[in-house]
Amino acid sequence: MTHPRPPRLGERALRAAFRDDPALPAILGDLEEDFHADVRDLGSTRARLRHLRACAGLATGRALHDLMRTLTGPSTMHDALRPTGLLQDLGYAVRSLRRAPGFAVLTALVVGLGVGATTAVFSVVKPLLIAPLPVEAPRDLVWIALDDGNEESLSSVTSRTGNLIDFRERASSFDGITGFNAFSGQESYTLEADGNVQRLTGYGVAPDFLDVLGVRPAFGRDFDDAESTWDGPAAIVLSWAFFQQRFGGDPGIVGTSVALNGEPTRVIGVLPAAFDFGSIFTPAETVHFLEVWEISDRTDRWGNTLHMIGRLRDGVSAEAAQAELDAVVASLEAEQPDRWGLGAHVTPLQEKISAPVRSGLLLLAGAAATVLLIVCVNVSNMLLARAPGRAREIAVRKALGAGRGRLLRQLLGESTIIAVTGSVAGAAIAWGVTRWVSATAGVKVPLLDTVGVDGTALLFAVGVAVATGLVVGWVPALQVAEGSEATVLRSGGRSATATRGAHRLREGLVIAEIALAAVLLVAGGLLIRSFGAVMDVDLGFDPEGTVAWKLNPQGMETNAEYVAWFRGLEDRLMQIPGVEAVGMNDALPLGRNRSWGFSVEGLPQTEADDLGMFPHIVTAGYFGALDIPLLAGRTFERNEAEDAQTIVINRSAAERLFGHVDGAVGQRFSTGRDAPWEIVGVVEDTRHVSPESDAGIQVYFPIAQMADWSSMEMAVRSSLPTARTVDAVSAAIGEWDSTIPAREFWTLEDSVGRAVSARRFLLQVLTAFGAAALLLAALGVYGVLACSVAERRAEIGIRMALGATAGAVLGSIVRQTLALAVVGIGLGLVASMAVNGLLASLLFGVGAGDPRTLAVMSAVLLAVAAAAGLIPAIRAARLNGVRALRSE
Amino acid sequence: MARLGEFELLVLLSILRQGDEPYANRVREDLEAHAGRSVTRGALYRTIDRLCEKGYLQWELYASDVPERGGHPMRRLLPTEEGVAAVRESRDVLLTFLDGLDPVLGG
Repeated sequence: MTHPRPPRLGERALRAAFRDDPALPAILGDLEEDFHADVRDLGSTRARLRHLRACAGLATGRALHDLMRTLTGPSTMHDALRPTGLLQDLGYAVRSLRRAPGFAVLTALVVGLGVGATTAVFSVVKPLLIAPLPVEAPRDLVWIALDDGNEESLSSVTSRTGNLIDFRERASSFDGITGFNAFSGQESYTLEADGNVQRLTGYGVAPDFLDVLGVRPAFGRDFDDAESTWDGPAAIVLSWAFFQQRFGGDPGIVGTSVALNGEPTRVIGVLPAAFDFGSIFTPAETVHFLEVWEISDRTDRWGNTLHMIGRLRDGVSAEAAQAELDAVVASLEAEQPDRWGLGAHVTPLQEKISAPVRSGLLLLAGAAATVLLIVCVNVSNMLLARAPGRAREIAVRKALGAGRGRLLRQLLGESTIIAVTGSVAGAAIAWGVTRWVSATAGVKVPLLDTVGVDGTALLFAVGVAVATGLVVGWVPALQVAEGSEATVLRSGGRSATATRGAHRLREGLVIAEIALAAVLLVAGGLLIRSFGAVMDVDLGFDPEGTVAWKLNPQGMETNAEYVAWFRGLEDRLMQIPGVEAVGMNDALPLGRNRSWGFSVEGLPQTEADDLGMFPHIVTAGYFGALDIPLLAGRTFERNEAEDAQTIVINRSAAERLFGHVDGAVGQRFSTGRDAPWEIVGVVEDTRHVSPESDAGIQVYFPIAQMADWSSMEMAVRSSLPTARTVDAVSAAIGEWDSTIPAREFWTLEDSVGRAVSARRFLLQVLTAFGAAALLLAALGVYGVLACSVAERRAEIGIRMALGATAGAVLGSIVRQTLALAVVGIGLGLVASMAVNGLLASLLFGVGAGDPRTLAVMSAVLLAVAAAAGLIPAIRAARLNGVRALRSE
Repeated sequence: MARLGEFELLVLLSILRQGDEPYANRVREDLEAHAGRSVTRGALYRTIDRLCEKGYLQWELYASDVPERGGHPMRRLLPTEEGVAAVRESRDVLLTFLDGLDPVLGG
């Protein structure tokens, strides 16, 4: 007869729990024997359940038993749980905290604040600075830029497709080199389905892009050979988010066709959730899909377009790859003397992606660490402040026979309970903050969408909090030295006073707190001033009340037909009551980024190449719609002749190229590809890349004469509220051409907001930290002085009985406060000088040592400290001398 | 000599009642059947461990040919001399205290 065997799971659990217990084989036998009896009596299913339950019970009991034994030493669990054991100590700790609820709640909140802030910030920082990118072997990936120039001019860091082709052929340091079209975001797609038109952003990537990065589609496949050229079938790979949002996560979409710009396009795959192209490479821009950017002579003619990424061969360093590419570039230059746009600058990919926000994030990490430090100081201080009052209680208990270990355990129990409660609050804070951060769309910080509470960070912060509690928790127990109980009991009335040393220690802690808070406040103050300076920048145009739409009409043959379409729409919109001006530009300010080459007589070509110019292709109404002032000459006529070759330039261009504004009108200007252009007017500079960066050289071409645009952006200025403008204009656009997503618009104020988003994000977080630090410092000051006043009741009482006035008492306490604050602020200012280096790169329009900021922040800190000290001071001044003496 | 708790005493007594093959499952059945109490396995094993720690009990593994045990050995429980002495002492105490209580307790 064969016997059924009990489930293996039970045995595994027991083996884990009983490990090296020699009785285990017999226990297993006992259980199996019962199992067979149960199978006979109850049937196999119930027998298995009973068996599993028995195993689970035994295993848990054993694990708990072992745990208690490690905690309480070689006594049995039974002993440990007896009322004299750990549970009783914990109970005692809870009761003792309940007697001082204010203290307990406040301390726990302080701990929560520190744990929450630190965890949240490290959770944000980690994906960028610490965690590997969500691609295969990210350390082997490098960014290959044209040179290490200014990122704000995309054309000066991107490469021609030809470079990619040559590098692939000649450089042996790489397993693969791929890239994507950096200007893809400026292409515009509409997806039409079920009568809905949606505007999409797709990025053109080299066909082997996903392969080189080691990203495998979650559904479907990568581009195949036929799809790798523009002559093949059109194919796209969807982003995970778009796949979820638009297609409800239905994998059935893979393999079907969608109408993209009216053209049937096959959805061949879906990117994995972890790899969000947009959040890695184009933060603040949502990328809906990837398409092929052909690597061929055809795309080489487009000029500098590619961001290149290479995967280093095993054992090859970035430096070695750089050296090889330098050699390749040199040999290409020698072979093809007239080849332009050659260069290669290698940076590890992770470094490249975090570079723009690196100093900001390091600053935040530093600030978070500072807050945690302040919290630890504060908790120490609060526990220490409570210590002297407890000396008597402890002395009594010692005299009654409580052992030192026992007392220690109870005191540590208290601080651990506080630390753990606080940590729970902190975890909740961190959860809330990271949820908020990951939901904050449109912030120009990479990988922000992927932020979640980081376990390691939380564990670390909780660890620090608990450790602080444990270290400081045993101070009260030490205060009553062996054999000194009687002295302590005799020395005080109701409570013992702290020793001089303990006082000094606590004052030192408060000074440290104020100093740390000063560092944070100065940093916060400087960032606030920088933000103000950025917002005060004269953008050169007026974003207020201006709403924008993207327009990419399809299906016309000539530029003239498109121009007629745009003019017709402008005329139609101008009829709407309240609309003051309508104008178009293929690149509205604070959106795109590009540069073209140019030449003018009298300027060396190399200098012109270094400068580059930002081209705008505009309609005549553009300057009016953005309220850009005319400085000399004229702007475009509504019917600017198609063959006139006329341009308008900005003030910087006029001054840089022709010495002054007036001298520019009538001058010739060449773009290198066609006949020279005549400058007919000069307009004011606009900040087109970011509010912080200079206008540079900008040139406006009339759309009738320049067909080199891919889509237009229309700005409508109106005196109506935004919502009404949007309604009226959207309706008119929809009537004009139903293929345009008329409800998709943005305001120029949105553009400004997005341009300063990273700065604002940093500012908000740092301000919150500064405020927290200020609050904690105030608490610290208050705590120390309140205790000091309470301890000095007798002394103050005697003084008042001897004739000291309330004013004199008040003054003495306030002086004590100010002394602490001044020393703390002084140290803080010195310390903030030390961190200036980190800050300098984040500041705009204000120096790191800005005296006004230092003065204001010092004053704020001083005022807050004085206010915190005032309450205990007033309490002292109100003391009734006689009563105070009697109560002692 | 460490004092015996009530359950410890019952376990030792049951072991002594089993004769040559006292092992945990028998003891449990005995206690459930004759002491009128349900005994969880964990409580029994812990009590056995505690009795061993006090020096009242020893055990040895021996191969078992009972097919239902799936080849697992048995644990033969052996009270030590100290264990028997502790039981004896408990009995004496009980008897002393029970002496003369028949009118109250009946029977």
